Amino acid sequence: MNALEVRDLTKKFRRGKGWKKREILAVANANFSITEGEIFGLLGPNGAGKTTLVRCIATLLIPDGGKIFLFGRDVFANSLWARGNIGLLTSGERTLYWKLSAVDNLKFFAALYGLSPKERDKRIDYLLELLGLKEVAYERVERYSSGMKQKLSLARALLHDPKVLLLDEPTLGLDPGFARFIRNFIKEELKGRYKKTILLTTHYMEEADELCDRIAFINKGKIVDVKRPEEYKREMPHKEVLEIRFIGSLDKREFEKMPTIESVSTFTKDGITTLKIIAPRIEEILNETINIVSRNNKILLVNNLQPTLEDVFIYITGTSLKEDTKEELEE
Amino acid sequence: MVRNLRVIKAEVIKTIKIWFTYPIMLVFWGIFPLVWVMPFIFQGKAFVGGLTSESFKSLTGTANYLSFVLLGAIISTYIFSGLWGVGNALREETYWGTLEYMIVSPTHPMVILVGKTMVEFLYASVVVIAQVLISVFILGLRVGISQFLPVVLIVFLLLVGFYGLAIGLAGFTLLIKEVHGFVHTLEWVFYLFSPIRYPVEINPITKTLSLLLPLTYALVAVRAIILLNKRILDLGQTILFLGIMDIVFLIAGIFLFAYLEKKTRKMGTIAMY
Amino acid sequence: MKRLLGYLRAIWAENIKEWKIELSYKADFIRGMIDPLVYLLPHLLYGIAIVGGRSSPYLEKLSGSSDIVTFVILGYIFIGFLNMALWAMGFSLRKEQFHGTLEAVFATPVPRSVFALGMACHSTLHQSIIVVFQLIVMYLIFSFTIKVSGILPSLLIIALMLFALYGFGMMVAALTLIFKQGWLVSEALSGIMMVITPIAYPLAVLPIFMQKAALFVPATYGVLGVRYFLIGERLPFSLTTLFIRLLILCVVWIAFGILVFNLIDHHTRRQGILGTY
Repeated sequence: MNALEVRDLTKKFRRGKGWKKREILAVANANFSITEGEIFGLLGPNGAGKTTLVRCIATLLIPDGGKIFLFGRDVFANSLWARGNIGLLTSGERTLYWKLSAVDNLKFFAALYGLSPKERDKRIDYLLELLGLKEVAYERVERYSSGMKQKLSLARALLHDPKVLLLDEPTLGLDPGFARFIRNFIKEELKGRYKKTILLTTHYMEEADELCDRIAFINKGKIVDVKRPEEYKREMPHKEVLEIRFIGSLDKREFEKMPTIESVSTFTKDGITTLKIIAPRIEEILNETINIVSRNNKILLVNNLQPTLEDVFIYITGTSLKEDTKEELEE
Repeated sequence: MVRNLRVIKAEVIKTIKIWFTYPIMLVFWGIFPLVWVMPFIFQGKAFVGGLTSESFKSLTGTANYLSFVLLGAIISTYIFSGLWGVGNALREETYWGTLEYMIVSPTHPMVILVGKTMVEFLYASVVVIAQVLISVFILGLRVGISQFLPVVLIVFLLLVGFYGLAIGLAGFTLLIKEVHGFVHTLEWVFYLFSPIRYPVEINPITKTLSLLLPLTYALVAVRAIILLNKRILDLGQTILFLGIMDIVFLIAGIFLFAYLEKKTRKMGTIAMY
Repeated sequence: MKRLLGYLRAIWAENIKEWKIELSYKADFIRGMIDPLVYLLPHLLYGIAIVGGRSSPYLEKLSGSSDIVTFVILGYIFIGFLNMALWAMGFSLRKEQFHGTLEAVFATPVPRSVFALGMACHSTLHQSIIVVFQLIVMYLIFSFTIKVSGILPSLLIIALMLFALYGFGMMVAALTLIFKQGWLVSEALSGIMMVITPIAYPLAVLPIFMQKAALFVPATYGVLGVRYFLIGERLPFSLTTLFIRLLILCVVWIAFGILVFNLIDHHTRRQGILGTY
């Protein structure tokens, strides 16, 4: 049975004032369904429309078109019921009461989720133990690290033992140790032990690759494709990825005259630009590519890689996951 | 020097631009301090049946209590908008995340503060002019042309010292970030222990405490000029006192700011919000 | 039944959470207790200065009560509930936005109205403590007498006034979500209300248009009713009229408050500005 079904979902935002007023299409005709017990990933760069989609499902946003069904029931016609069956985890530093302790935060939300005091105390105790927050349970959240805050947010999402979890960028901004903990927790506890249905949004392709049963690529508000991770990788048979890191700048159009190249992407971080070229045979284009790049730049590294999920994303959408698609940037 | 003037000009223009994104604020400050006075007028009407009170005269020298509270409201606007403005100015910069850039620029922070203070003064003046016009044309406050210059002198003397205090306050903002509570408490002190809204002479405690606040002297002097037709020469003592206060507050404020700024740099908490 | 119990628990949890947060800002909490006194005292001292004592024959002629001190204190202290609606309740959603928790709260299976009742419950308790504190302090400074028999009916009047103010508070709470400078809305409303409600003077001294406007403000009936029962102020209309009008205002303001709240909730969810601060 489908736990969650999204049909023709469209969401527009009006931004700006006066003559600068414009409409932004945050989600365009999105369609997908998630079966019970499945981890379904929404993979796309910042501003692709992932958070908007999650907020629509959580009934925090009213869509302009389309329907959302939770176990066959329309979430907007049954919004209180739907909220009772959904656990929401959003990213960001400020989503908890900083002046309260973990226990006080959870007690408050337990009441809003309709737990009786007995159920509440048992559940809070259990979750704090499970997430390793027992020791700091009575400390104010303002003294927590980002990772601990995220763990507490996760405990909040699990308070009422919901069937469906919406995890919006659960590891964003966390240091590697905490990110690993959260990923293992999702895989082993939430999926393995509790068989939760999970919608997970991320722009980390390793995360999607590792956790998700199926992944939807989302870019500029559109769902581009939905497949299993291994199917995606199979999509690029006999393809190789040439990665060159250099200092300087480059015009991607220079590669247009090389017919065997299938896609070119660049992104820059800390002054170092990474160029990725996907082609059937790297050795055929290697010399010419290096000539172009080295003309005005200093090459630091040349690599021949196996395609990853990110390369598939670039191959299909022409956009790097690390880019900000600013014009669609969600608030 | 020219460079510093240019910085001040840039600061003034920047802040004015930010104001115009909130024009409603100007309207608010232009009108509401007078709305806050209205209950005092109606209260007077209810208690003494007219717009004059003999017992008020025995305390203040004037029976015209309406003009008394109007002048209190107008003069205190300068003080309160200044307190909130300068105290908050640097905090706003921390909020926008621009403070660190200002501090690392080769301009002395004091120059920036002078810019901010001037902006604050301009702002308060616009608002006060609006209040005076409303008071004169709608509420019947009478101000003679010849009284204008002496009043400006008194207000100027009050403000110089006061901005000294505000500059010191800005230093505290750097250090403790949240100055709201402190400003609020100062506001209380002014409301309770200076004759903004009532004659402090009514009670020996308030009368004694009020003598510690320069605002008391300025309010008494302005009211003496406008309501009792005193000449500026009659007020030599008050002017001397305000002048001394100016020097003390200005020096103290500047030193306090310099000290606190240095301390903040040492603690490395400038950009924290 | 089970659902109702759940909602009651949610209301109580909201109240407890607010207390815990407020008490963690101790200085602000204490300031909140003293704040109203700072504005009340100049009013009183000014009154005494113009009258030249505590007793005003003019006030007696207008209202039947000559003691200006008791008159002003009672008016001023109970108007605190109006400020509660404007500030404490009015800014509760904005505060959640600032904490970043508004979305998490709105994602729970509790109707918005239950959440609003939680805020109302907390602000009423908090304000009641402030009111009692002020009455004690003012009594110690000025000492005044009230009719003990009038206390119960006064509480009834206050309860009715509170319901009407909840509607008002809900409207303001919703408005702060769409107006970035919501405090200006509250400040302006509060400024106007403080003039047109008969706090420190009887209605009769106001210009006619203000008197008419005051009749739409629940606090007017609250203040007049409380003073009628406690110090025998003469009412400009009968007691029955006062009750009926206050009841009507209750219904109207609550309906209007819920309507505005729902409209703005819908609007913010369409525009996607719920979580932004």
